[in-house]
Parts: sequence; C-alpha cells; structure tokens
Amino acid sequence: MNGQSGCRGWLHCRVGQFDLRLDWELDAGETLVLFGPSGSGKTTALRALAGLVRPVSGHIDIAGQHVYDSVGKVWVPAHRRRVGYLTQQYHLFPHLNLAQNISYGLGSGRRCPRFGNPPPEIEEILDAFQLRGLEDRFPWELSGGQQQRVALARAMATQPQLLLLDEPFSALDAGLRRSLRQELRIALARRPIPVVLVTHDREEALSMGDSVQVIEEGRTIARGLPIDVLGQPGQTAVARLVGVENLFRMRVESRHPRDGTMRLSGQGNDMPVVLEAPLDDGPLDERAADAVTVGIRASDIILSSDEPVGSTARNRLPGTVSRIEARPPGYLVELDCGIPLLCQVTGASLEEMGIRQGQQLWAVFKASSCFLVQESATDGTKDA
Amino acid sequence: MVSMLRRWRRPDSAGGVLGGATGAIYVVFIGLPIMALLVRAAQQEELWNAITGDLALTALRLSIFTSVVSIAVVVAGGTPFAYLLARSNHWWARVIDGLVELPIVLPPVVAGVAMLMAFGRGGLIGGWLESAGVGISFTTVAVVFAQVFVAAPFYVRSAKLGFQSVARDYEDVSQTLGVSPISTFWRITLPLAAPSIITGLGLSWARALSEFGATIMFAGNLTGETQTMPLAIMTAMESSGGLDSALALSAMLLVVSVLALSALTLGSRRRWSGRL
Repeated sequence: MNGQSGCRGWLHCRVGQFDLRLDWELDAGETLVLFGPSGSGKTTALRALAGLVRPVSGHIDIAGQHVYDSVGKVWVPAHRRRVGYLTQQYHLFPHLNLAQNISYGLGSGRRCPRFGNPPPEIEEILDAFQLRGLEDRFPWELSGGQQQRVALARAMATQPQLLLLDEPFSALDAGLRRSLRQELRIALARRPIPVVLVTHDREEALSMGDSVQVIEEGRTIARGLPIDVLGQPGQTAVARLVGVENLFRMRVESRHPRDGTMRLSGQGNDMPVVLEAPLDDGPLDERAADAVTVGIRASDIILSSDEPVGSTARNRLPGTVSRIEARPPGYLVELDCGIPLLCQVTGASLEEMGIRQGQQLWAVFKASSCFLVQESATDGTKDA
Repeated sequence: MVSMLRRWRRPDSAGGVLGGATGAIYVVFIGLPIMALLVRAAQQEELWNAITGDLALTALRLSIFTSVVSIAVVVAGGTPFAYLLARSNHWWARVIDGLVELPIVLPPVVAGVAMLMAFGRGGLIGGWLESAGVGISFTTVAVVFAQVFVAAPFYVRSAKLGFQSVARDYEDVSQTLGVSPISTFWRITLPLAAPSIITGLGLSWARALSEFGATIMFAGNLTGETQTMPLAIMTAMESSGGLDSALALSAMLLVVSVLALSALTLGSRRRWSGRL
C-alpha cells in the first residue's frame, strides 16, 4: 500500500442536530463510493474532506500530509489542501469563459486572458477533455456534458491530490453519463489520485467504485466491494436503500446442506408460497422453525407465459399481473403469487408478450437469486 | 424572438385593458411635471445666468462633494457589512437586518432630529464630543452624517441581495481551486454581485443627493457649508423673485439624476444576468 499518495482518516461532524461519523482508507487511483439517500450526510463528508466544513473531531491524511487533526490542532484551510471538488451543478463561474474557468486556479502568470491565446498548459487540458474550439464560450453556451467536462478539467488543472465528486452525473441523461464516466476513468488513469464519489445511483456506484460505504443518517451501515454490498445487500436497511424490490419475511421449512439450499415458506394472501434459497449458516437440525428475510432483485426474475418445465431454475411461481408501472428504461410488473413479486422487464418484452393487468404469468428465478438479508434495527419488510 | 413578440401582443383581456389604461395615466402623471419643469426652465431668459450664478454653483459643488464622500463612506462600511448579513443565518442577523432598513421608512426630518439628539451640542455624545473639540452639528460633516444615515440602507439592502444571489458553492469551489477567501471575494463574489451593488450604489447616491429633511434639521442651511442643492432650491423659492433660480437649480438636479440613472442601468447589465 502506498501511504504517500492515498487518503485516510476518520471524522465526526455536527451540522445542527445532525451527526456524521465516517472513517475511510483509500489508495491513489482508487475510488471510494459513499452511497446513501439524500440527507444521509454524504455531502457533508465531502465538504469536510475539502476543508469547507470543520469537523468536531477527527484526523484526515491526504497524500501523506495531515490536513486535519483535532488532537494536534492541525487545520489546513480549503485553498491549501489541493483537493478537487466537483459539485452537483458544476458551478462554473458565469462571468468567465471556458478557458478562464479552467485556468482559474492557476497562478496569476499562467491564467488565461479574456482575449488571446491560452498558455500551452491550458491547450493540453483543452485537448485532454475534448474542449478544443470552445475556449471563448461562456458556461451557459455549453451543453450539460460539456459543462461537466469543464468542471472536471478545472478541478484537474490544479493537480489535486484528492478528487471529490458530488453526484457529478446526476444532471445528465443515461447515455452521456456512461461516456463521461469513461472519460473520468481515463483522466484518472493519466493521473492516479484517490477519488471519493458521492451518489445514490446504484449503477454509478457499481461501475465507478473500488469500494463502497453505505451511509444512512450519518453512519456507515455497510462497506465492502460494490458488487457484494450493492449486488446482494446483507441488511434490510441497505437493501431498501439500494432498491431491492422484493423483501419477504419467511419461515425456514427445511435445510439441504448437500445442495446448499433451503426451503422457505411464507403465508401468502390465499395460498402458501414456497421458495428455494441458498443455505444460511443457521442451525442444521430441523428443530428451529426459524424466520429469515429473503431479498430478490426485480431484474433477476424471468416472466414466462407458460409453465417453464425442464429448467434448472429452482423457483417457479404462478401469479396474476396486478400492476404495471414505468421504470425507465423498462417496466416494473407486479405479479401476485400470493406474495406481491416485483419483476423488471424491458419495454420490448412487455409488448411482445402483451403483458397486461389480470394476465396469468409464471415467475422464474434461480435459488441463488434469493439472498438472505439480516434484519436491521429499523425494519420495513413485508410479511409474506 | 417569437416568444418576445408573443409577450408584446396586444392585451385582449379586461385586465390587460385596465392595466394599459392605468399605465398610461401613470406615465402622464410622472411625465407631465418633469416636462413642465424643463419647459418652464427653458423659457427662462436668465437660465444660463442662474445656472452659472454663485448660489447655484456653490450649492452644486457642495452637493457633489458631500454626496461623493457619503457614498464612499457607505461603500467602505456597507460592503463587508452587507456580505456578513447575506451569509449569516443567526437570529441577530435578522434583527440587524430590520434595523438597517429602518431609515428607509423613517421620515428624514425625524432622522435629523434624532441625529441632533445624539451628536448635537446637547446630545447624548455631542456634549462629550464638544469637550474633545469636535463639533459636528451645523457643519459640512453634519451634511455627510445626514446623507449617510438616510442613504446607507439603499446600498446595504441592494448589496446584501446581490451577495445572496451568489451561491456559496461558487466561493467553495473557488477555494478548493487554491484561491484564498479574500481573493475569492474579489475574483468571484464581487463580480457576480456587481449588478446589484451598482444598482445600490446609484439608488444610494441619488438618495444622498436629494437629501433635505435630515440635513436642514441637523446641518442647517449655511451657504457654502451646509446648503446643498435641495436646500438651495427651497431658499430660492422662499426669496422674492427666486423662482427663476429655483427652476434652474431643479432642472440641473433633474439632468444629473437622469444621467445617473442611465449610467446605472447600463452599468448593472451583465451578459450572465439571471444565470447565477
């Protein structure tokens, strides 16, 4: 681990009645995703890292330099921290043109004049971020994607030791988001620095993050690799935050250690529902009819118009379509199988199968698509 | 362009007709006296003599001198103060905010009496100042005091709104780019708040220039020392056959005001207005 170029530390911030506690450790070139709903304290965390908010206590190391230490009374102000900070609305300076915006943070001799050619250093940045030819444009004359690039170029021009991104892609459409994420990755490959990215978009967290911390009400409630934490979240609170559509409270009927599965049953509205899920590490004897919470992602469920026979999927549930709602880029179909099962389908399949309310369909999913979720203190699962 | 045309289409509702009619009446109401003043002044045979006369020039010189000094004081003190008010959420900031605007609604004569009670010979700290050898009332300094008192709120209020319109994030981003808070103020906050600041400057200066009530109460009406243009106009009106001089002085003040207003409108326009 390269202790000289990463960012690590812990902090405790208080904003009014709100407390934020966070600790982190990341290397140069690594991206830490802070994932959580709005109001969870993510932005406060970024502002504290940037030196714009003073924590109550803590310790922050950036590139081997102590920029904050509550015990040693160290406090490096924002303008000496060498931290790049991208806000959600970019905040390009409206009275400066593109070249002036990018060179804003440079020393007085290296800045762009209002008219005339930019210095070579800026030319390089203009090329790198594909902004050549737009030097004289003012922020409002740029598209959303261009504005985003200018904001990133402006931050990178000052050669920061840490990059903070506050939902940098939230104002853009999906296609642009993907291409800008790619550009960001390229920019970071050129100059590997630690990155802290705040988002509540699961796809963004999965595609950008090397590690993720899920934050709720100022506390980290889960951390780890994005695919582990956000793919099959292990806690109900996390599952709800990342948008696991189906969470059911069920009883363990029997365990099959040989197959690594177990049978679960839940009392549906008018019929019992039986599911097969991966084995938990609970008691192996049949004595305890213990209860578990099982999560299934809507996108892991296949809808079929006939009973699917001869398939390896362990779970096949018949049901009636009770609701269809748009959920870009596709649709969310609620299938009443005794329990309300939400399934994600594309617009094309919805049309081809002619799915409509009241239709009889089969929901099919593998046992491994069911994951067990630990009950957290605040419980909001539906009883099945 | 199309939307602009559409906005200017003829009013077709009853409200539009009513609005148009009252608007026309208003324009006549404001325009007629101004026209009358200019026409009557132009008819004066002695106009040029009256304008270049001793009384007029002395008053004009004093008016410009005192109002410029007052505005310098207002800007120097009011700018940091307005910034503080704009960025503060404390309850006391709201209290002070209300206090700042009090002189706008206070009759200037009352302000003059109040200042006399504070800084005058027998005033709260006036006696103490007197013993220290500083007499304020009925001097040019008193004119400036009176003007600052009535004019400052216009500047502070406008500048405060200007600073409030600059999102704090601009300043934050500037600092993360390595620019100190003070440089950030000069390079970001002030330019972005400039339209409001210039507007406030103009309003405040116009108010100082037209100040009458507080001045006559607190500073008196001494030619060359405290007799500013508005006071000179009143003095001329009161003297026999002074209407000519009064008209000339009024026309001068009107021209100065119109010029100031035009400069102001041009100066406060920015390409990025409304895009903060």
